[in-house]
Amino acid sequence: MTDATAITEDLNFFQRIRRDFSPLVIAMVSLFLIVFIAGAIFTDDFLTWFNVKTIIRDAALVGIMAIGLTFVTLSGNFFLLSMKEIAALSIICFATLMSADWNQWGVEGADPTTYTLAMTFVVAFVATMIIATIAGALQGALIGLGGNPIVVTLGAAGLFFGIGSWWSDNLVVSYRRPHGAEWLGTGSFIGDIPNITVAFIIIAVVAELTLRYTTFGRQVYLVGANRAAGRATGHENFGMAIKCCIIASVCAAFVAVAFSGQVSSAHVNYFSSEFGSSGDMTIMVIAIVMVGGNSIMGGYGSTLRTSLGAIFISSIDNMMVLNGFNSGARVLAVGLMIVFSIIVFALVRRGSRAVE
Amino acid sequence: MERIKHWVAENTDLSFAILLAVSVFTFFAITEPLFFTHRTGFAIMERFAVLGLVGLALTLCIIAGEIDLSIGSNAALAAVITVRFTDSLGAVNALLIALAISTTIGIIQGYFIAYLRIRAIVLTVGTLMLLRGVALFAAEEKTVMLTDFRIPDFISTKMLSYFSPASLLVIAMFIVVGLFMTYTRYGREIYAIGGARKEALASGISLKRPMIIVFAISGFCAGLGGVIIGLRSGTAQALGLQYLLLAGTVAAFIGGVSILGGKGGVIGAAIGTLTVNFLNTGLVFNVTPAFMVQLYLGILLLVVIMFQTGSRVFDERQRRNQLLQDADRRRSILSDKIAALRRPSG
Repeated sequence: MTDATAITEDLNFFQRIRRDFSPLVIAMVSLFLIVFIAGAIFTDDFLTWFNVKTIIRDAALVGIMAIGLTFVTLSGNFFLLSMKEIAALSIICFATLMSADWNQWGVEGADPTTYTLAMTFVVAFVATMIIATIAGALQGALIGLGGNPIVVTLGAAGLFFGIGSWWSDNLVVSYRRPHGAEWLGTGSFIGDIPNITVAFIIIAVVAELTLRYTTFGRQVYLVGANRAAGRATGHENFGMAIKCCIIASVCAAFVAVAFSGQVSSAHVNYFSSEFGSSGDMTIMVIAIVMVGGNSIMGGYGSTLRTSLGAIFISSIDNMMVLNGFNSGARVLAVGLMIVFSIIVFALVRRGSRAVE
Repeated sequence: MERIKHWVAENTDLSFAILLAVSVFTFFAITEPLFFTHRTGFAIMERFAVLGLVGLALTLCIIAGEIDLSIGSNAALAAVITVRFTDSLGAVNALLIALAISTTIGIIQGYFIAYLRIRAIVLTVGTLMLLRGVALFAAEEKTVMLTDFRIPDFISTKMLSYFSPASLLVIAMFIVVGLFMTYTRYGREIYAIGGARKEALASGISLKRPMIIVFAISGFCAGLGGVIIGLRSGTAQALGLQYLLLAGTVAAFIGGVSILGGKGGVIGAAIGTLTVNFLNTGLVFNVTPAFMVQLYLGILLLVVIMFQTGSRVFDERQRRNQLLQDADRRRSILSDKIAALRRPSG
């Protein structure tokens, strides 16, 4: 260990926080925490095991997407405005293949066995992931060549949404229960913890470990923090953008599969405005990444922050529902939180780092 | 002829936009017998009224090197406010309140972007959600409706066979903004902070004034677009008007703006919007579902972006090759000279 860490040994917890974070950030986080704790105490039925489970389960779907998006943000490519459209395309692909005649693997009319259900699921799942990978690689290549991420993904969003609507004729695609995706959508293997929550936790842990301890993870931070230094050391943004966009797209496709498993149907509009409570899915995902405290310019942040952000937003939402607020007030609250955290982080950065 | 050639060589983007607009128009005029008529012309101008405003706003933002993502939410908020308060306050008052609110929102956004020195994308993604929340609040999560339909009738009365009061107002807006951008100092400042921000700041332009002007105009245009949509259809939804961002961006990019900023203009925005409108209207004649229109717009935007990025990469590569070749030539000349110097002595 170096001398720098030796000095930190005799600082206590609060001193270390004061050294690592600026007063504004500490004030904001404590304000959020105070509001949160006060709300938690004064809301009936908030601190029950059932409600905590609900909160994490709500956070799981948007959270997984946000973890995927965090890679893009950390690598300095802002964010993808096409998250919900990738999910829409994936959900249509998955449901169409689940309901396809050739994909039933058994005698017609007979009760499906576990093997046939699993085979149906695997075929549909693999195809969905391939589609999502192609979608991600396409956007990543355009971004890596120097296209502006916002404009590229805005165009790609229109493209994917159009393909999804065209494929499904803008209709609801549904498939019969029992089907092979039920275990992911509504099942639970460990006690009464839903599988989607377990998947969220596993993905969060794997993503965090990848970012911290693998070469790829360190490269993401390098390219995000300093594009020029990355290029000088042989880490072009081209490959990095493609990899990160693929990760984000695959996460979105996974969410689509899980959601389709819950409702055993699919429609392109599932992720547009009816999903969840706070309006648009893409904006919700971006909100989570921002409220978690990741730097939008890249290079600073982690997926752990994103996961905590997802759980935080989900619990605020839950608290407001329990207190009888309408969707308008909830969207307003999340919007205020984003704008507030953007302004605070910008003020901190303004003082500390050279402005581009 | 020579003059036209010169003009085309000087304004490649604009001439490409005009070519695209003319070819889209000709395609539909030939394939659809009803396309090239007075009524379709009127319908296109009616669409131009709203989309043109959004295209204009986004063009200005992109010229300044930023992009305003909250434009759809701002328009939806203005629409909700106008429609909700028309019955109690009268159309003119409601309209003025809505415009004042959306312009103020724009000014606040511009101020914060300049003061905090953050990218507009970052802040406007937050306000996108915030404004949608405000709009939901203002509409009480319902679709608000007009009861008095004289105003919608007035707004879309036909004048001069192609225009309505709304589209005339928008054309006037285009002219005013175009003159402002070309002939005033403030307009030139907007081009300066877009094309060469460091140099502009170094030469003493403050970031605040142009940024506030750009976002004020953008907010005003979004608000006016929302007001026109709201009053024309008589209804407004807090979660609606999300499609404006994509269509407006496509219009701006066809009109020849560069994502790096500092390029493009109001005429380009008008032509880009007209192209998108020709496409939209022509596809309606073809009985194309709305989602296919979105698909085509997405493809169009991607193609334009690919061309821009491709030409930039190509330019850079060519410049690098040029430099390398120059260096090679200089080295060979130098080595020749050295050889020539050595020969007599050796």
